[in-house]
Amino acid sequence: MTNNINADMEKIAVNTDVLVIGGGFTGINTASEIADSGYKVVIIEEGANIGDQKTPGFLIGFNEKDRNRLQGIVDKVVADDQIKILTQTRLSGAKGVPGNFSISLSKNGDIIEQKFGAVVIATELSVKNLNEKYGLSLSKNVLAQSQFEELLNTNKNKLINKTVVFLAGLGQDGNPLVTERVMRSVFKLNEIDNCSTYVYTDNLKVAADGLEKLYKETRDKGTIYFKLKESPNTNSDGTNVSFHDPILKCEISVVPDIIVVEEALSADLLNETLADFLQIDLGPLGFLQKNNVHRFPVRSNREGIFVVGAARDLNNLPMSCTDIANTVLEVKILLEDGKKIVSKNKAVIDTGKCTFCLTCYRCCPHSAIFWDKDNKPVISPIACQGCGICASECPMDAIQIGEFNDTDIIKKIKSKIKPGNKEPCIIAFCCQNSALEAGLMADAFNLQLPAGLQIIKVPCAGKIDVDYIMNTFIEGADGVIVMACREGNCKSETGNIYANWRVNDVHRMLDEAGIEKERLCFVTLASNMGKEFSSIVIDMETKIKELGLSPLNK
Amino acid sequence: MKTEPKKVMVIGGGIAGLTAAWELSRLNVDVELVEKTCFLGGHAIRLCCKATDECVQCGACSVEDMLKNVVNEPKINVRLATEIKKIDQNGRFSVTLDKSLSPADNIQDDIIKGYSKNNSPLHVILDKNSCSNAPKGAVEFDKIGFSGNVEADAIILASGFKPFDAEIKKTYGYTKFSNVITGLDLEQIIRKNSDVVRPSDGTKPQKIAFIQCVGSRDERLGNLWCSQVCCAYALKMAETIKYKNTDADITIFYMDIQNIGKNFSAFYEKCKSNLRFIRNIPVDVLPTEEDKLKVRYVDDDSLAIYETFDLLVLSVGITPGSDNDELSKFLGINLNQDGFFTSMDMLNKTSTSKNGVFIAGTAGGPKNIPASIAHAGQAAGEVIKYLGVKK
Repeated sequence: MTNNINADMEKIAVNTDVLVIGGGFTGINTASEIADSGYKVVIIEEGANIGDQKTPGFLIGFNEKDRNRLQGIVDKVVADDQIKILTQTRLSGAKGVPGNFSISLSKNGDIIEQKFGAVVIATELSVKNLNEKYGLSLSKNVLAQSQFEELLNTNKNKLINKTVVFLAGLGQDGNPLVTERVMRSVFKLNEIDNCSTYVYTDNLKVAADGLEKLYKETRDKGTIYFKLKESPNTNSDGTNVSFHDPILKCEISVVPDIIVVEEALSADLLNETLADFLQIDLGPLGFLQKNNVHRFPVRSNREGIFVVGAARDLNNLPMSCTDIANTVLEVKILLEDGKKIVSKNKAVIDTGKCTFCLTCYRCCPHSAIFWDKDNKPVISPIACQGCGICASECPMDAIQIGEFNDTDIIKKIKSKIKPGNKEPCIIAFCCQNSALEAGLMADAFNLQLPAGLQIIKVPCAGKIDVDYIMNTFIEGADGVIVMACREGNCKSETGNIYANWRVNDVHRMLDEAGIEKERLCFVTLASNMGKEFSSIVIDMETKIKELGLSPLNK
Repeated sequence: MKTEPKKVMVIGGGIAGLTAAWELSRLNVDVELVEKTCFLGGHAIRLCCKATDECVQCGACSVEDMLKNVVNEPKINVRLATEIKKIDQNGRFSVTLDKSLSPADNIQDDIIKGYSKNNSPLHVILDKNSCSNAPKGAVEFDKIGFSGNVEADAIILASGFKPFDAEIKKTYGYTKFSNVITGLDLEQIIRKNSDVVRPSDGTKPQKIAFIQCVGSRDERLGNLWCSQVCCAYALKMAETIKYKNTDADITIFYMDIQNIGKNFSAFYEKCKSNLRFIRNIPVDVLPTEEDKLKVRYVDDDSLAIYETFDLLVLSVGITPGSDNDELSKFLGINLNQDGFFTSMDMLNKTSTSKNGVFIAGTAGGPKNIPASIAHAGQAAGEVIKYLGVKK
């Protein structure tokens, strides 16, 4: 947000329109908030309407006032001329980079092309029946949770004098969203005359605000919770539920009038297609975000593409609202007022050296590289995170990363190695996100470090070239440690993996050259591991002392 | 068009306060970050990395990241060892600050190793006379802390939580038996030694038990909430210990294992294969003559049995911050019946009954690190909206 442009900076224009994918409450709310911040928004929704709540139980815990507010937001979005709503529309293609995405939309077969600065994905949860997991078929007296919620809302009196059994958390590893639906239903049944309620579950998932209280309240009102390790026995028509109680050492049977079977809430099937079109990572269980702490809450592996609420995890609407606020912040920081100051030399391709082999395009974890009109590769200064994986992978050395360019790093390696030293010279290539911090911590807390330790900072372990490591040995280093982030913790997803591969390559080369492989090792650690940093480098020193100085250390 | 930059006070320098401050500064808002202790990062900065062969998303490293962001950001003015004394509102907020009198919660040494600029430790000497070997660059406690008035356009309350005091559960013998420790103690032991060691003799324990829900989900204490962090931290630390010592024999005593975080089910499945789970919360702990701990519990066949362990970890939960009562009076906003500043607004869990005051992190109820970060981002977003800061 600075106005000081130095020689390495330039001002570029970005498109400030935002595409929101998904017209449920999360999408609507996102669109409304982004429009309020002064950006134009297009919402696309596959269905015929926006504001339809597709996920049952999504508004659990919401009172009438909250519901009215939500309807108010829908009405406002419809009336807002900053927001264009396209129903029966899906994404059919995406190109470009943040600040300038070219998006194809398909509305009833017509293709609409439009540019956007940012994209927000707000898909919803999909719901699956789990009755088969309990050996039950849905019928008049065996209902899925959504069907039962409908019954409770429309025909409560039918439940007077009834015995209702809930089966939850046994057909799947449960979660607080499922628990809350069950307990809210039970809570309402507690108010109905002479209605008995039983809940059969494994781990009762109460890790959300207010659920433990709800658990106590429903128990106080007579609901019985059985915590089992496996599903109870049910007869196929759902007229008997029983299990063997190990404490009472007997069979406990309940004859229910109604059995309510839990539903699985899972990722929208649309996510996979969106991930494909938008070149973003699909995470565990079909949600749109890798399980990487650096992405939380709303970032994807690509700058300018954000994932909110149920698009990224099992989130209900209050949690989604948290995501929405974070997304609005990110969008503002990204798009500003349509003009952005960016670094000119974050990553620069020398098109004279480039042979258009596409290696960089394929290995960039942030999809920051695109082909311009003249069919030449260009790196988007907004999308690029400066990790340098592309630069190290490029077979022609055609890419240079700002302060981490090859000339400077090789110069640094030379300056750090003083041949002829009696103390083993150990070079540690440290990722600035983890090992470098750990090293600083070790030093600051006066932990033991080898006298001959030298640190070389890299933006990401993915920037540690085979050339750098080889040069380090040629210059006479006795040991080299490549220090990366823990697996799954790399800000560029794969930097640590590339570094590990390259170390394996160099091991083979050292072997051929007759240099002990033990002189080079690959480790992963976190920024707060000062103690481990110290142990790793001390162990290396001990190893080198056993091996003796490097034959190249003259 | 540029308008006069707005100023926001963030109360509390834990992960939520750091995140809120950083997000605001990214949108050109000036921040006064007030922290009552001598260091930033709160409880979270002292946690250990729990990765095994891969990251398990404990979030401890995100705290380091955020700390680095904040200390290098000129728009954020950090006031350590400073407390709130009074808050007046007359259009803007006027906050009276004073040097903190209790800057060193839980710290026994006479030198506090906190964290400051560039992630290097900030050594604060509490008593110059008793401190023989002061580290380079150490600061005397008298020299930090601020007294005076600060104006702000909005306030983010990120005052955090208090870990449950395990001494309240007398029969566990916490502080009486040195090998009965809390989850937070274990975090610090692993952080300091790269591995688990017994406080009594520094040896590696072979047989370890974790007791879940210590101080959480406890009707007798009136603590009717799940702390939403303990299952994850206990299982993650158990797996870290197992990774370093595959022979370690680890038992988890639990009521219900809670899903916390993305893809927790898969992680839980892995835990089931190498940890022993017993669905019972033990009550009594007795020492043995061999410096071990005898734990009494009821097994699956409802028989009461004694089993001996080398180390017992109490998974203490999150309880309301010790300053909550005072802060609620200063700010004129109510606590919920549990003692947290929980928002009742389903669409905005950071709002309070007072315009211009927002909640971030565990001040509003139990949260893990990623959830605190998200909540603090939301609070920053709501402040931006409230202040009318445009793009």
